[in-house]
Amino acid sequence: MSLIEVRDLTKDYRLNVKKRGLLGAVQSLLVPEYKLKRAVDNINFSIEKGEMVGFIGPNGAGKSTTVKMLTGILSPTSGSIMMGGLSPHKDRKKNASRIGAVFGQRTQLWWDLPVADTYDLLRYIYRIPEKKFEQNMEMFNDLLGIQEFMSQPVRQLSLGQRMRADIAAALLHDPEIVFFDEPTIGLDVVAKEKIREFIKKINAEKNTTMLFTTHDMLDIEKTCKRMIIIDQGTIIYNGTVEQIKERYGRSRTLVAEFAQKLDRIDLPAGVELIDQKDNKKYLKFNRDEIQVSGLIAELTSKYNILDLTVTEPEVEAIIREIYEGGIDFDKGISGDSKKSLSEQYCVPC
Amino acid sequence: MYRVDYFAGVINTLVMIFVNIAIWKAIYEADDNLGGVQLKVVMTYIALAFLMQCIFVMEDYFIESKVTSGLISSDLLKPISFRAYVFSYNVGSSVFRVLMQLLPTLVISIFLFKLLPPFSTEMGILFFFSAVLGYLVLYCLNFIVWMSSFWFYYTFSLVTIKDALVMVLSGALIPLWFLPQWLFNFVKLTPFESIFFTPISIYLGQVPAADIKTAIIKQVAWIVVLALAGHLLWNAAKHKLVLQGG
Ligand SMILES: Nc1ncnc2c1ncn2[C@@H]1O[C@H](COP(=O)(O)OP(=O)(O)OP(=O)(O)O)[C@@H](O)[C@H]1O
Ligand SMILES: [Mg+2]
Repeated sequence: MSLIEVRDLTKDYRLNVKKRGLLGAVQSLLVPEYKLKRAVDNINFSIEKGEMVGFIGPNGAGKSTTVKMLTGILSPTSGSIMMGGLSPHKDRKKNASRIGAVFGQRTQLWWDLPVADTYDLLRYIYRIPEKKFEQNMEMFNDLLGIQEFMSQPVRQLSLGQRMRADIAAALLHDPEIVFFDEPTIGLDVVAKEKIREFIKKINAEKNTTMLFTTHDMLDIEKTCKRMIIIDQGTIIYNGTVEQIKERYGRSRTLVAEFAQKLDRIDLPAGVELIDQKDNKKYLKFNRDEIQVSGLIAELTSKYNILDLTVTEPEVEAIIREIYEGGIDFDKGISGDSKKSLSEQYCVPC
Repeated sequence: MYRVDYFAGVINTLVMIFVNIAIWKAIYEADDNLGGVQLKVVMTYIALAFLMQCIFVMEDYFIESKVTSGLISSDLLKPISFRAYVFSYNVGSSVFRVLMQLLPTLVISIFLFKLLPPFSTEMGILFFFSAVLGYLVLYCLNFIVWMSSFWFYYTFSLVTIKDALVMVLSGALIPLWFLPQWLFNFVKLTPFESIFFTPISIYLGQVPAADIKTAIIKQVAWIVVLALAGHLLWNAAKHKLVLQGG
């Protein structure tokens, strides 16, 4: 049994349908009409202890809704969530002391309290032993530099500072499981990197299980081995980051800088000229069909070449293509959501 | 800011007592033995009612603002009972008001309005006990109104109706014995009577010793019934709750 087991999880939101005009307003008041909006549609997945899983998908895919159900603050319409034997919604209080959550779009801290007071309150609420509290505060200060704004009220913090304060607050009680919903939203590159490093370190040192939602693929590449992609409420991919690169990242681009500007160029079959700039030409080919060394040998024998680089597509580009529907998953890798994928794919350790 | 609030609270209570007593004095000038109750007794009733009201203030929009803003999610993420949290928040501020507002106002009222002492020491103790129960009845009633925000989001109209009913039917403004008999009989069937009227009547010795037990049991019964209703509403609300925002 995995630490987190999600089975046939579904969430419908009820939307009020407001009619237009005065007559419509009266009608809506007397006979309210509802429309159901399925935000999460029958999803299944499981997460092992100590795993760090990326949870991605386009805007409105149902990520936050899923995270809210996992943290127990939103009740599922149907299906079940088991977290180490507890149901997050039914055993909310018990479960809450084992989990931590960071919602990047909204702070969990007390707006008017100085940061230091917030931590004191949390220590009291979670009954954190004095020694553990001090150790953690020291560690968070080393890694996140929270000391710098400890005496300021939360409402005065910059976004980056607030996020660091929020992350420290969510981890203060050494939770077994932590949910991050866009913890790097709106941060600069340095701050993002700092937070990634921190999250990785906590995961490694405390063996904390983590689910990480983000729109920045670099976050996922740098921190998670596995990722789950959700779109329109259903899971369309659940497997390793490597695997997706392996499968869909087969194209390579060779950038060749020639000694002089060439108007036309002879290319072997299967190689496509996708762009050119000054003396540079961008040549795209499939790694399985064409060997890079052969292509280079052919080009250098015919032309005078100054510089060569080969690039592989970034995960971001692959994901973009997936969101846009450009990639059709074969069942081998994506699986259908009815079968549990973690059973199909061995979970990376 | 707090200091201004504090003085405003004290002065507000004193002015309310003063104005209401003045009204009753005027009424008594026309008829000096209204319903067989002496003016002195009515004056004490009014003073006590307003003194109690200054502690029985509760935050009517505390839950609503958390629900409409979605901030309730931060509370629900913590391993604490949300209901216990709301309750201690209200009790905490009431205790604070006992120390900061009630005590000074009480001292001034004793001199200014010549409050009668409790009918007997025993009645004084029972009054205190009954007043605590009255507070709980009001809290449980309020909790039900507050919970409606999970369904309606905005509770201003319900809160206003509730405030008006409490004002008139609980004896906060008018001693209930002045109500028309049919209305008085009706109020006896509602929880409102238990809030202010029961404790104050005990203080004034208006409840026969034999009936005190019944009056207090009635208060407890209302607490149980209302708390149970609140509990059911809370359980329904947990499933109903839709968290606003990203
Ligand atoms: N309180 C709500 N009431 C009604 N519908 C909602 C509510 N919250 C979310 N939805 C709808 O549910 C769907 C999923 O929303 P959700 O917030 O889970 O998306 P998300 O994947 O987190 O998106 P983003 O990347 O933009 O944060 C959306 O279509 C949204 O409009
Ligand atoms: Mg979201």
